[in-house]
Amino acid sequence: MKDGRRTVPPSIFLEGWDGLTSLIELRGVTKVFGKGGAAVHAFGPVDIAISEGQFISFLGPSGCGKSTLMLMIAGLLAPSAGSIRVNGTEVKGPQTDIGIMFQDSTLVPWRTVRGNIELQLEMRGIPVAAVRQRVAALLKSVRLEDFADRFPFELSGGMQQRAAFCQAMIHQPKIVLLDEPLGKLDAMTREHIRADLQSLWMQSRPTVVFVTHSIEEAVQLSTEVAVITPRPGKIDTLISVDLPFPRDLTVKNSSAFIRHVHDIQEIFHGYGVI
Amino acid sequence: MATASSERGNSLDRLSRWIGRSWMFIAFFVGFFLFWEWSIVLFKIPLYILSPPSMIVTKAWADMSRLVQYTYITGLETLLGYAVAIVTALPMGLAIAFSSVLRRTIYPFLVCTEMVPKIAFAPLFISWLGFGLLPKVIIVFLVCFFPIVLNAILAFNSLSEELTRFSYSTGAGTWRTFFKIRLPAALPQCFVGFKYAGLNATVGAAIAEFIGSDQGLGFYIQITTGNMRPELAFAGIFFLTAIGLVLFGTITLAERLIIPWHISVRRAQG
Repeated sequence: MKDGRRTVPPSIFLEGWDGLTSLIELRGVTKVFGKGGAAVHAFGPVDIAISEGQFISFLGPSGCGKSTLMLMIAGLLAPSAGSIRVNGTEVKGPQTDIGIMFQDSTLVPWRTVRGNIELQLEMRGIPVAAVRQRVAALLKSVRLEDFADRFPFELSGGMQQRAAFCQAMIHQPKIVLLDEPLGKLDAMTREHIRADLQSLWMQSRPTVVFVTHSIEEAVQLSTEVAVITPRPGKIDTLISVDLPFPRDLTVKNSSAFIRHVHDIQEIFHGYGVI
Repeated sequence: MATASSERGNSLDRLSRWIGRSWMFIAFFVGFFLFWEWSIVLFKIPLYILSPPSMIVTKAWADMSRLVQYTYITGLETLLGYAVAIVTALPMGLAIAFSSVLRRTIYPFLVCTEMVPKIAFAPLFISWLGFGLLPKVIIVFLVCFFPIVLNAILAFNSLSEELTRFSYSTGAGTWRTFFKIRLPAALPQCFVGFKYAGLNATVGAAIAEFIGSDQGLGFYIQITTGNMRPELAFAGIFFLTAIGLVLFGTITLAERLIIPWHISVRRAQG
């Protein structure tokens, strides 16, 4: 509790779990695309409980179904079997107490950065005037305050994704779902923006589900990393990353960090994906 | 005084910049007409086959009142047909895009009729509706309707997966999602249809007039050609082109005003 940090209760596999602290709960979730002989078993069954305030990464090779899993948590895709509960309620349709973001941003080209952030509010019927301060603060925290009135096409890829973070978080959702939001950025920009994402998360501490195929990224950002196997994707290991935040260069060079990265590499090596 | 002169300076500046950018085009344009003018003399082309541009201008000037009147008539047919096409095709495209029943009934029918050359209906319409304005307006309408409706269907059906998911995640209702996301996202593709229809509109009007008419530029071109007055036929073609240019220019201007953020507009403006 020192440094004003909150301790984060670890998520656990469902075995022996008491069901009090989890916000997102997946039981036997399976997804099969298509029917009959042409059916593709995308992944599952997956059981996991994610407790509030976690930053959990779904880390796996491409095609392992981690994005599908995220869409199902958002209620945008129905599982073929099993059930998903958010806040104790079964997910049956699109969830709205969430913020989502993808590799291709959800910024619309006809609005400025500020207009795009306000779009999230307008779509939800939240009066924009009431949260003007919050918009400004959020923009400032990702160093976009001077670009509020620019259009997305006037910004670099990294700036666009930072603006998209603001759009996904302005309504202070309880859950933020991020599907490879840094996937299209170059390595240096990625590194830079991870820090922004981390500080945004630390400010309001939403529960974040982060889909990525970068081991280092997962270890740097997450309280927990769910290592997912190649298709059909299953959770091989759930690793609790017990390192202090913010995870700057010092932390990243620590032996504990490197050991985590190494352990995960070993797992993937075992499956022959790296 | 200072402001007036600086304003003049500005417009002079702008003119010289425009010339700087377009001189090659202007030179080509002027060269083309000069070549035309001289080739009549050079290749001894009889005047009843092809007339030099200078003769087109002088003879057209002499017949200006008729040309202006016919331009008005053909322009009216074009504009009415085009406007009715937009007003009906957009809602229909929208309805088909959002209704699975219409998509399985009217849509395949539309795709089939798109294969029918609409101009082939012109004699029928004229036999049904006479020589007046209405059959021409209908032909222009038919020619314009299909590109607008087909592009509108495409436009309203092709919202990106990301924006669709984003819209769902906000819990916004159908109308709010439509006005805040679907409609603006669809506008660029709608304008593709508007432009294509705009290019076809004058073609429809002219051909409808060829088939049965006693006024309008299509009629004028046909009659003057029959009378071995190619210089007047060319004058008619130039006025017809002018109608097309004004229509297309208006659509392009509307596009710039309505979707200045779109990549096609930004690219066009450099």
